[in-house]
Amino acid sequence: MMAMVQPRNLKYRVWAARIVMILLLCLVMFPFLMILSVSFRTGNFATGSLIPENPSLEHWAMVLGFEYTAADGSVVKPTFPVLTWLWNSLKVSFTTSALILMLSTTGAYAFARLRFRFKNHLLTSMMILQMFPAVLALVAFHAFFNKLGGVVPWLGLNTHSALVMSYLGGITMHIWLIKGYFESIDVALEESAYIDGATPWQAFRYILLPLSVPILAVVFVLSFIGVIGEYPIASVLLQGVDQLTLAVGMKQFLYAQNYLWGDFAAAAILTGMPITVVFLMAQRYLVNGLTAGGVKG
Amino acid sequence: MAEVKLTQLDKSYDGGKTFVLKNINLHIEDGEFVAFVGPSGCGKSTLLRMICGLEEITDGLLELDGEHSNDMPPNERRVGMVFQSYALYPHMTVRENMEFGLKLAKANKAEINRRVDEAARILQLEKLLDRKPKAMSGGQRQRVAIGRSIVQEPRLFLFDEPLSNLDVSLRVQMRQELSRLHNKLKTTAIYVTHDQVEAMTLADRIVVLSPLADGAESNLEQVGAPLALYHNPCNLFVASFIGSPKMNFFRAAIVEPGQKETRIKLECGTELRVCNDTRNARAGDKVTLGIRPQDVLNHEEADGAENCITGTIETIERLGNESFIYLNHPDIHEAFIARVEDSLRRQPGAEFHVGVPAENCHLFDASGVAFSRTRSPVFD
Repeated sequence: MMAMVQPRNLKYRVWAARIVMILLLCLVMFPFLMILSVSFRTGNFATGSLIPENPSLEHWAMVLGFEYTAADGSVVKPTFPVLTWLWNSLKVSFTTSALILMLSTTGAYAFARLRFRFKNHLLTSMMILQMFPAVLALVAFHAFFNKLGGVVPWLGLNTHSALVMSYLGGITMHIWLIKGYFESIDVALEESAYIDGATPWQAFRYILLPLSVPILAVVFVLSFIGVIGEYPIASVLLQGVDQLTLAVGMKQFLYAQNYLWGDFAAAAILTGMPITVVFLMAQRYLVNGLTAGGVKG
Repeated sequence: MAEVKLTQLDKSYDGGKTFVLKNINLHIEDGEFVAFVGPSGCGKSTLLRMICGLEEITDGLLELDGEHSNDMPPNERRVGMVFQSYALYPHMTVRENMEFGLKLAKANKAEINRRVDEAARILQLEKLLDRKPKAMSGGQRQRVAIGRSIVQEPRLFLFDEPLSNLDVSLRVQMRQELSRLHNKLKTTAIYVTHDQVEAMTLADRIVVLSPLADGAESNLEQVGAPLALYHNPCNLFVASFIGSPKMNFFRAAIVEPGQKETRIKLECGTELRVCNDTRNARAGDKVTLGIRPQDVLNHEEADGAENCITGTIETIERLGNESFIYLNHPDIHEAFIARVEDSLRRQPGAEFHVGVPAENCHLFDASGVAFSRTRSPVFD
């Protein structure tokens, strides 16, 4: 308990804060509940009551790949390999995030710790380039991987490796994030590792990286979320139905004449699940005060 | 165990336009305890970091045990360093902190344990081995930092202001522990500090560095045993840096130069006799008179006595066993302080007569170089 003088009306303030927070929570939860409701609603209707009047599992059967027998006896067959899309999304997201982590930590190390010419110019120009949305370069991506595929088939259009590679271009923000964190760690820690006989790589691996776990978790989650929901690049690079990621595939439910909102909603929730799992796993690494006690503050 | 030799060492951060360190020549013997002292900005920490390889050497030669070591990476120099900020690895326990270097060197487990346990015993860290740094006090952390370098059995210990983050009583205690440790291990040690008391009490030899002045040839001012620096500072800088409170300096001029004794005159007109060899100077040369606050006599009662400077009292610091009287005098450089042994209350503004024994006086020429003393006290 903090030994601090508290004003007498503290109780009311606590309650006020709680009410505001509950309202805020409702605001945040409402869209999610709506989507959940749409996915259990019979037929494909975007509007309706929040609790479905005739709950049905037809959309979930569709996305999970089961046949569904409707109330009138007709059998609906799943039209798209939604689970394959989910698997594709997971594969691409995990590979991309892992590679981004590797590239951006080493890149950030260079920017935070090493001295070389044009360092600041490089940093700012990377930042400025990254400010343009990747969408602007769609045609370039397409042409590039089209050509590349002629030489290296596994990096051509309609491959996941091409998609991963195009995502790896977007690591500037992560480099900046990690660089800022590295700079908050006293360089004396690595210096004393050198004195202890460590090579620069060992000092990086055994001292700097373990102390940076919180920011690495943040970067992993951020890039995971970014990749799993990415649409423009994936929609241009991937073409075969079996190669699509969930974000691109979901668009297949929205025909020009017929929006299958129910199937779309079920697929959307499916996309959200891995994000939730990744976040829950990362949360235990998001701890403060990892560097406490190392140096005199 | 190592010998360190620096020859004409330079350090510049901007490719030779300005220098932080210039023309440093120093030979540190095996087993010696040497302290680098100087005010902040004099480059003493930089010099230490150059010796351990964390800072590049712009020019000159560094030899460790006779081996050219300018470009040897720090992990190959086999030195141990204790940082001002301790720099313990916060994600490791005390034991892991101390083992780190040995594990990198792939020492065998039994040897690692033996060395860590021995270091822990010497530094009384046995009970803390499983703690993380954040659960320890400053003094304990500093001991771990020392332990971490001991277990490596380095040939050279480097201390970068290791005690400056500790409170006063702990600092005195750690100072004694360091002294004891050095007597036991006999490893060559270099100790950087801005606290001249630490340097005086710990070191076999002191190296005084100054911030590099424009056009100066070197910023290494003087190297010598602590008492040699105290009694025979070679110039104004060293004289003012060594000793606490600082030496008093007066503007004066030579009246009659001499080999054994010199007659000088303060600008205010007071004539004094000092024991300095000024045979190369001429009458009328401007000089600076230096006298330590501890070396003066209380001539309060004896107005008009010989070799006496009179000032007016500003403030008095009464410490019980002694008092420091801060005086005003027209010819003083910075502050005029006299130490007296009583605790009497004195009236600010009143006159106070300070006796300056001729044999206790220091004399410096216009460029700040000391005239040698002819009757300096005996010390070993």
